[in-house]
Amino acid sequence: MLDTRYRVEIPGGINLEAQVVGPVPRFFAFAIDLGIRGIIILVLSLLSIPLGSGGMGGGFFLIFLFVIEWLYPVLFEVFSRGQTPGKKLLKISVIKDDLSPVTLGASMVRNLLRTVDFLPLFYLVGLVTMLSNQRFQRLGDLAAGTLVISVPESAKPAAMQEIMPLAPSTSLLRPEQTSIIEFLQRSSQLSEPRQQELASILEGITHEKGDNGVEQLRRIGAWFLGVR
Amino acid sequence: MNLDKLQVNACLRSGWQAVDLGFLMARAWWRQIYIAGLLPLLPLTIVLLLVFSQSPLWSLLFIWWLKPFWERLPLYIASRMLFDEEPGTWSNMKSLPLKDILPWLLWRRFSVQRAFDNPVTVLEELKGTARRERLRILHGRYTDVALGNQLVCFCFELLVAFGLVVMLDFFTPDTLGIRFYDNFGDLTLSGEWIYTLAGIAAITLVMPFHTMAGFALYLNRRIELEAWDIEISFRNLANRKQRATSHRAGMISVIVFAGLMTLTMPAAVDAAIEHDHESSRQLIESVLQGQDFGEERTVRKWRFKGWSEADDEAIPEWMIDFLEWLELFKDWAEVLSNIAAWVKVLLVLAFAGLLFYLFRRYRGPLSRLGRRQPEKAAPEVLFGLDVTPESLPPDVPAQVMALWAEAGYREALSLLYRASLSRLIDKYELAFRASHTEAECAALVRAHGIDSLSEYFWQLTNAWRRLAYGHQLPDSETIEGLCDGWTAELSDESQ
Repeated sequence: MLDTRYRVEIPGGINLEAQVVGPVPRFFAFAIDLGIRGIIILVLSLLSIPLGSGGMGGGFFLIFLFVIEWLYPVLFEVFSRGQTPGKKLLKISVIKDDLSPVTLGASMVRNLLRTVDFLPLFYLVGLVTMLSNQRFQRLGDLAAGTLVISVPESAKPAAMQEIMPLAPSTSLLRPEQTSIIEFLQRSSQLSEPRQQELASILEGITHEKGDNGVEQLRRIGAWFLGVR
Repeated sequence: MNLDKLQVNACLRSGWQAVDLGFLMARAWWRQIYIAGLLPLLPLTIVLLLVFSQSPLWSLLFIWWLKPFWERLPLYIASRMLFDEEPGTWSNMKSLPLKDILPWLLWRRFSVQRAFDNPVTVLEELKGTARRERLRILHGRYTDVALGNQLVCFCFELLVAFGLVVMLDFFTPDTLGIRFYDNFGDLTLSGEWIYTLAGIAAITLVMPFHTMAGFALYLNRRIELEAWDIEISFRNLANRKQRATSHRAGMISVIVFAGLMTLTMPAAVDAAIEHDHESSRQLIESVLQGQDFGEERTVRKWRFKGWSEADDEAIPEWMIDFLEWLELFKDWAEVLSNIAAWVKVLLVLAFAGLLFYLFRRYRGPLSRLGRRQPEKAAPEVLFGLDVTPESLPPDVPAQVMALWAEAGYREALSLLYRASLSRLIDKYELAFRASHTEAECAALVRAHGIDSLSEYFWQLTNAWRRLAYGHQLPDSETIEGLCDGWTAELSDESQ
């Protein structure tokens, strides 16, 4: 089954999950970072003019240029939860492939190998390697053992509707409970006939038809949400 | 449309995640997609290149312009692959590329969300007002993502095209005499051919990803609007319940049948069971021989050349000689055992003396050990929350509301909760222990006997548990109520 989900089982049998991120959002993140770097370099070059272009000023400018070109992504990735400003805007982040935070070494490797990913022009190698594996890792990612994942958004407060809860008549597994809760929470987005159609699948559990079935399911959902 | 056979995991995704899923779909079905794409494209390309053999860049323009025409079959094939179906009849496919094609080649050619809108024309076969209405519902909040997809895929096309040209330029020896540019920097004819072929390659290579990303966005919207994930989950649930019922009925009939069998012909049943044991034993053995039980390991060591396994086992000659020599002292054995007995007594006495000395030496600290500690200190940390009074801000409710307003829901409620615990320890001297759970703490508060306080703390505990363990956020009114309650019950002014 096709999915962007990436799963790691850690000792203790716990599954960690993350959504891997493909080339399109990463392109935008890169473009934003490129812009930011460009602005910084522009400002620095203006500042170094008074120091004289030949001697001191030129030297300082070249050192800053080196630092920004090579260390900008590394510093942000290591000290800002794997996110450069561009990645932060796109809500994506770099992480090790065992889903632990990215380390200095890994970040160095993945960013030094940008030069290879850039070949022959504009990241063609990077794009091809990204599309040649399921986890969208470019060459630098493969070498450093890192991934780019999307950062899950924290849930917003959901307004609880006033519903009389109802205990389900049979025992349900956890994913089944979740889907009934989803039915309750998303029912405002679903059309009436679609709600009835969905509820009719579970007639064996609600023992009701049509609108009553929908109502019963919503009440069971409220019960699973902890309303008593 | 049979959702049981859906080949992608139906769940709610953000727009970008849907685009990523589309890239995965293109990866998974690239063979079918390319065949369907090249079927109309290949003859078209050959004809165009022949016609414009002196200025091939024109053919590139036409191929690019005719994209809506030749990227329809891939979309159609992908929609069949999505539900694991056969591609369908040829006649159906034949009419597909020309359906409602004129607007798509004229004024809709520059639509920025073609990949997203395509399924409505190709798969739902809607036209005119019906199409417009449908798109209005579908677009929702995904227009930005569809635009982004179009933009990035266009950039990818440029990137691939120029990348290929540059790579060719790198690897073409100068001695070959092929020049891409003339002395004025304009393209030569061979240069034009290179650019055209690279451009066609780029358009073809990027097409599946672009089309599938748009298709995945469309799918994502359908999953959202029609709750496919809920339907699949409900169907599984209904199937499971049905299976459980039929399984139970099956079990009952087996038991009844087995009962009848034992009544009528016990010998046959015994034979069946024995055979069962035999086969199960074999099964167990075969399982035990599997990889999971036991492993083979290759170990490498340094050894002398003339060495053999037997040498290791043999008792050396000198040891036999030594034992034989000991035999001569047989008579001395009694004397020796006497001496040994004395040595044993001496050792036991020495050990006892050592114990006595140690006891004398450390009597003071040992006697203190048994006594109870004068007073048990209040815990500083409960369930990982710091509950010392020093860790709290001066105005707890204000801080909580500020955090809540900044969307730090978890921090806000945890601050309120630990502030309450801290106050309960400080003010009411409740004997919480680090091993207590939240509910046990609430029970202790109830046992303290102040009804309003215990009612308040129970509400707070519940809100906290729901957020901390259940990820269910309370609404803002509840938090305001809890903050007011805190001022009334637990702040310095309260009684």
